[in-house]
Amino acid sequence: MNPVVSDETLHAFVDGELDVAESERLIARMRDDKELAQRVCALRSLQTMVRLAYVEPPVADGRTLRAAPRRQFVQRCALVCLAVFVGLIGGWSLRGTESQAVAHAPVVLPGGYQVVSLSHAADPSRVLLHIDSSEPDKMQAVLDQAERLLDAADRQGRVVQLEVLANSRGLDLLRAGHSPYAERMARMKQRHGHNLHWVACGQSIARLKSDGEKVVLLPTTQTAPTAIKEIVTRLQQGWTYVRV
Amino acid sequence: MLMISRFLFGPLRPSIEAQRPVLYRIAYAWCHDPALADDLVQETLSKAWTRRAQLRDEAALKAWMVSIMNHCWLDHLRSRRDFEDVEDWQDELESSADTPEASCNREQVIASVRSAVARLPLGQRQVLTLVDLEEFGYAEVAEILDIPVGTVMSRLSRARANLKSLLDTAMQQPTTKPLLRRVK
Repeated sequence: MNPVVSDETLHAFVDGELDVAESERLIARMRDDKELAQRVCALRSLQTMVRLAYVEPPVADGRTLRAAPRRQFVQRCALVCLAVFVGLIGGWSLRGTESQAVAHAPVVLPGGYQVVSLSHAADPSRVLLHIDSSEPDKMQAVLDQAERLLDAADRQGRVVQLEVLANSRGLDLLRAGHSPYAERMARMKQRHGHNLHWVACGQSIARLKSDGEKVVLLPTTQTAPTAIKEIVTRLQQGWTYVRV
Repeated sequence: MLMISRFLFGPLRPSIEAQRPVLYRIAYAWCHDPALADDLVQETLSKAWTRRAQLRDEAALKAWMVSIMNHCWLDHLRSRRDFEDVEDWQDELESSADTPEASCNREQVIASVRSAVARLPLGQRQVLTLVDLEEFGYAEVAEILDIPVGTVMSRLSRARANLKSLLDTAMQQPTTKPLLRRVK
């Protein structure tokens, strides 16, 4: 049997730093060695006392921590106001572009969709539609949206660059055997050629593969390293981003 | 939108703010001064907010913020003490907390433990509180305080031995105050 167990080892045991085999060996030893068991017990109670001592640390007089939730509340209010403001401005400016350029098209961006652009003027002729959900409704919405934009542009002789980016569960839209709209998408691609791109997030693909799934993408689908990078790059290039 | 802002700006303010109670507990256990602890937490939160882009792994948010607070705390000590080398007094500095009067048994134990912890040398106090209060692993503590793991283990070992002997003495004469008073 080993000689005396060092304090460091006992501390590591109490703090859960020993590996399973070492812990088990120590536990086995404690059954026979009462003194060792007592040392561990003393350490544990010391630890408990320290924890107990700081469960409720005293609060500084005059500037209580209660200020925090209030500040948070104010911040949240400000955030909500900002979101509403951005939404209103975004909606208003889009309404403008629509009435000028897409006079006959139905509503381009239904309410609830967020429009974001990093450049000063979002370019309505370059649109990134982002889907990260596998809900059939959303998938259909993203395709409807894409088709509407492209058709409206066709009718008016404009060129619209459109990219549909899928990540996370939304990747199913671009997966052969999983996509419920494979045929429709093939038709769309045939019709609009290089104005329409299907882009899959490489990271989502890698994640699925590491889970043991086989990932086969629909033909003509491109891959971006990560969805986020693609979004940021496009935003910087002045694209309009719409999350469906 | 949320994903973009997370990617661009790091953790959002609520998750930084949410660390406040944890930070406060640690800060208090380090300095035993509520007002100073509050200042340290405030400074840490604002630094964490401005440097939020540096944090890549959000799972490490807590450890990252504690390490920021460690720097704030050391800066504070430096400005107060005018020491050049923190290492010199890492092993000797006591907090200046007085022993609070204890009115009942539970409070008395709490008061004794707090004042015993306050009497530990700074380095030991930091390691002990991080391991015992927040259950950080030794490797995490080493990273937070920027010291080798071996030092974490030896400081912890010494801290617990010191704490035990301080408490043993305190418990033997529970009502007399001078025991844990700081001797200058």
